[in-house]
Amino acid sequence: MSAPNCLRCLVRPTAGIPISAPLAAPIALAHAHARAAPFSTTAANARPRKETEKKTGSKDHSRGGKKLQLGKFKKDHIASKGRSPLPGERKAYRKRITLSNDNAIPVPWLTDLGPEALASAENTARVLALPEEVQDQLRAGEAFKPTQCWGMFRKPAVLVRKETVDLANRMQDAADKKQMLRLVVTGDKVAGKSMMLLQAMAHAHLNNWIVIHLPEAQELTTACTEYAPIPGTDPVQYMQPVYVLKLIQAIKRANEKVLAKTYTAQAHPELPQNIPPNTPLLKLANVAKEADGAWPVFQALWSELTAHNAARPPILFSLDGLAHAMKPSDYRSPAFDLIHSHDLALLKLFTDALGGAVKFPAGGAVLAATSRSNAPRVPSMELALAQREAEERVRQKVEGAEVPQKDPFFRGYDERVEAVLRSVQVLRVGGVDKLEARALMEYWAASGMLRATVDERAVTEKWTLAGSGVLGEMERATLLTMRV
Amino acid sequence: MMASSSRPRLTSALRGVSRTLNGGQRQPLEQHFQSLQLNSSAVRGRRCLSTESTESNANGDRLSITAAKELEIKSLIKKLTPKYRLAQHARPVPISPSYFSRTPAFNDRYLVLEKLSRAYVNLPVIPAADTERIAWKTLSDLRQSFGEPVKATDYVKCLAIVKRLHQIHPELKPDAVKEALLDFQRDVQAFLNVATPIPIDKFGRALGVGKRKSSSARAFVVEGEGQVLINGKTLADYFGRVHDRESAVWALHATDRIDKYNVWARVEGGGTTGQAEALTLAIAKALLAHEPALKPALRRAGVVTRDPRRVERKKHGRVKARKGPTWVKR
Repeated sequence: MSAPNCLRCLVRPTAGIPISAPLAAPIALAHAHARAAPFSTTAANARPRKETEKKTGSKDHSRGGKKLQLGKFKKDHIASKGRSPLPGERKAYRKRITLSNDNAIPVPWLTDLGPEALASAENTARVLALPEEVQDQLRAGEAFKPTQCWGMFRKPAVLVRKETVDLANRMQDAADKKQMLRLVVTGDKVAGKSMMLLQAMAHAHLNNWIVIHLPEAQELTTACTEYAPIPGTDPVQYMQPVYVLKLIQAIKRANEKVLAKTYTAQAHPELPQNIPPNTPLLKLANVAKEADGAWPVFQALWSELTAHNAARPPILFSLDGLAHAMKPSDYRSPAFDLIHSHDLALLKLFTDALGGAVKFPAGGAVLAATSRSNAPRVPSMELALAQREAEERVRQKVEGAEVPQKDPFFRGYDERVEAVLRSVQVLRVGGVDKLEARALMEYWAASGMLRATVDERAVTEKWTLAGSGVLGEMERATLLTMRV
Repeated sequence: MMASSSRPRLTSALRGVSRTLNGGQRQPLEQHFQSLQLNSSAVRGRRCLSTESTESNANGDRLSITAAKELEIKSLIKKLTPKYRLAQHARPVPISPSYFSRTPAFNDRYLVLEKLSRAYVNLPVIPAADTERIAWKTLSDLRQSFGEPVKATDYVKCLAIVKRLHQIHPELKPDAVKEALLDFQRDVQAFLNVATPIPIDKFGRALGVGKRKSSSARAFVVEGEGQVLINGKTLADYFGRVHDRESAVWALHATDRIDKYNVWARVEGGGTTGQAEALTLAIAKALLAHEPALKPALRRAGVVTRDPRRVERKKHGRVKARKGPTWVKR
């Protein structure tokens, strides 16, 4: 009564095996085990054994039967090892960013972000998709991170939160008044600080700003990229040519359109290529082909972008992982002293801008986001941010607000850091409210990633489990936890 | 012995005496014996035919069944000789029919109970569910307390009578019945322990306490919208594992109350799992203070009973609690 096919693998046995093999030889009990049963349901056993029988014949000297085998699994190990991954392959796999999932259901009501979408309050608690062009720009600027769940949905979409609208409005106000918004985004772990930067960048791209983004401050300060002293600087500053070349190319790709429409105001004789005035900045950026000449090109680009006598678009200069940029770096000077991060020329540009020493001609924003997962302790920065927040509360006359003071017995404070953060604004990103959580969960459900009814109860449950609506925790509790 | 001697019904008869006496003269003889009773403290080598040990008589004087009085044969003979002839070999006759059985204490009580149940069979009874809950002695308890090998079948029959007698309407229950039942009650009555209800204070908080492993948690539960603070941190901050977060608020989740209450809790001791499950219990108890009707639902969710398991102690000769040492050849 056995089935003719292998039930487990649904493979139909070939016609020759079951009948012809046993009938070719006289049936003997000793060979019975070598015969494939005509009704075997095991595919492996149904295979003819001719090859193995040949091997055990007279040709090689080893006798058949039981053999002593030292090291029981040795051969298997060698066989199963396969090709080891090439250098960098594992990291590339780990760091790859997938922005779409063809298996996810497309959400019919999902609309693309418009130039004003992030700044309008009626979009609060709505999920909006990033347009294709902005996706490319953000990807070029490395705004997406591998830890974010982009790869689960059909196309990248962002939740517009109250904080987003607030930030976009502050940016817009600053640009309208040709002022600079200097702001630090801080908040709990996985609360959406980097996502805030991404939304700010999206807003900037949509409004034709120039966006310069340093995706990880630690890439600049943990001594993993080349550095060299800049001649003629006192105190000595250091350039990081390889990183700067990469940055110039990222800026070029992300802001191609805007740079093509912005023209140089002065000549740059120090560059190897002749760049006369009224050349598109894109051409200037194209001059950087090798790491060797990258820093002068970047300097030229920067001086053009900050030139006050020409028409310039607003600029967004942003950095993620602020703590790494607010401490002595891991680089060493020729005297083997640690180099402060603010002596690295690129970071000095950023910190000067954040501290208010540089003015962008058409205004713009300097944003920095702290990180909670990979961040060294920087007491000065923590204190400064706490002080700025408390000052804001005092200004709003919140009851019991008190500005924290320095610990007089602690020596680890850094005056350069304090100087930079003396007048920044602080935007604290916390949990979302239930309305926003509901919008997000509805989007998840519409994408087929959350297979449950989204009602008041489900929303509150996830909201509570995520510690009062911390977005990353909501994702973890809802999307990333396998329910079996 | 003094207490037992005061009882008139416990006067005894002597075999020799009873032979010599006719029925009409029995009463005065008993009175004689009463008067002849010696103070037990004065007596050294006494002969007593009680089915009880002397200690239990001295302590539990409420129902001690004495087979026969102590007798001082010689003085008795001296007194009685002028009037009656008393045989030299006279011995007291046990009044208990179970005196020569292996289980006199149990049998005596059994007989008493049977007698009482026959006597009071017509008294009105209340349903068994309405009676005062009393923990009766189990078979092993009974064997232990009487020091006798009581048969299980006898125990069952006896307990049926006990329960029947206990059903007699409490206002009409005779003292004799109450007294007879006392011997079948357990020494520690668990039903007297009534849990004090958790109050809800003027701020609307109910405080529940829960324990698990070596963690203990105190949870203040108020009506709210689903916020949880544990030791000043949010649920996500305090518990890294999603599973722990879920088990902490499981009582609210299982009853669909997660959006109706806020929780403020203190937890200490133990590890994360223990703390999370201690919180489960604490929140469930506090929730019960708000809504007592949720008890069956919470019990089904498994958050009412404290899990009593603790770390098993290490034993000598073992590597851990149970793990045996590695076998070593010599």
